[in-house]
Amino acid sequence: MTAVETNGAADGAATPPILQLAAVRAGYGRIDVLHGIDLELRAGEVFALLGPNGAGKSTTLAVASGQIVPSSGGMFLCGRDVTGAAPDALARAGVCLIPEGRGIFPNLTVSENLRMATYTGHSYHDILELAFAQFPRLGERRKQTAGTMSGGEQQMLAMARALATEPALLLIDELSMGLAPIIVDELYDHVRRIAASGLSILIVEQFAHEILGLADRAGIMLHGRLLHTGPPANIAGELTDAYLGADHTAS
Amino acid sequence: MSDEPTGADGTMSSARLAQFEDEVAKLKVTGGGANPERLGSQWGIGLTILGFVIAIISWWSALDAKDSAITALRAEIFAIIGIGISLVGIVIWVRNSLTRYLRYWIIRLVYEQREQTDQLIRALRDEK
Repeated sequence: MTAVETNGAADGAATPPILQLAAVRAGYGRIDVLHGIDLELRAGEVFALLGPNGAGKSTTLAVASGQIVPSSGGMFLCGRDVTGAAPDALARAGVCLIPEGRGIFPNLTVSENLRMATYTGHSYHDILELAFAQFPRLGERRKQTAGTMSGGEQQMLAMARALATEPALLLIDELSMGLAPIIVDELYDHVRRIAASGLSILIVEQFAHEILGLADRAGIMLHGRLLHTGPPANIAGELTDAYLGADHTAS
Repeated sequence: MSDEPTGADGTMSSARLAQFEDEVAKLKVTGGGANPERLGSQWGIGLTILGFVIAIISWWSALDAKDSAITALRAEIFAIIGIGISLVGIVIWVRNSLTRYLRYWIIRLVYEQREQTDQLIRALRDEK
């Protein structure tokens, strides 16, 4: 069962979505994890993808970032079919993934990690300036080895590195994983500011309460299918049923 | 890069969106092989076998062409072309196999280093 919302602003219908996954089936090797995902993200929108472990949320992001090529179905950016485009080409175009577990280089310093973002053609100086303006704490720790920072600071570094590349589409995988609630709140304040700037964000989370407050729309994934999409208020009501349903199915 | 970059406050301009559309329009889409190195390796093996077969057949043709030096010469040229195709196939196979191996190797290295750093940090924290 799939569900693509067609509601929204009138101009949303006129312009193609910045990201569209159409009947996407994908997985690892011969095993499909996604069983026909239909998802649309409009420009400037924040879409929260929720669901329990193993639902296929991270795989959806892997498809959207080009790391996994769908076995069937299509991926579209701004209306153009980009199914099979290389992940580095998508990254250079402006699709940026902040992976689960932060994805920083723990043995490099903060500055060296930020230097990695120069692949987009931005100058090192500009990247440092932008990153430290958004996350002043990173400026204080610029020479510190990234792996020795707290989990929250590492996540900030991952976000700073992503934002320094001026993405047009930001994909965030489980920002809150392994972090204390107070740190998660702080990070979501940053995400809220980024979202207010008009960046299109597809964000994956297991737990809803942090994210539903800032999302424009949300969807629930279960067993590789997008079961419900809609306004966060509606999704919040359906979430418990979906999770309990998952537990019953699993047991 | 954009002439009108994202500001320090992270404001995304409409110019950036337009630039993104341009970049997407220029994207080279291969149509999607889930594993390009494996495909490359298969092509390499295929070319190697093809070249080898051409070389063997041409060589036998050259041996059989006892009455005509020109025919023998042509067959020998084909044999050399076959050997060339085999060499190209071997290079393609080695290149793709190495890329595949190094990709796994670097991923493994990154994960191992991350795990070691995490262990070190845990140990340091436990000491405190």
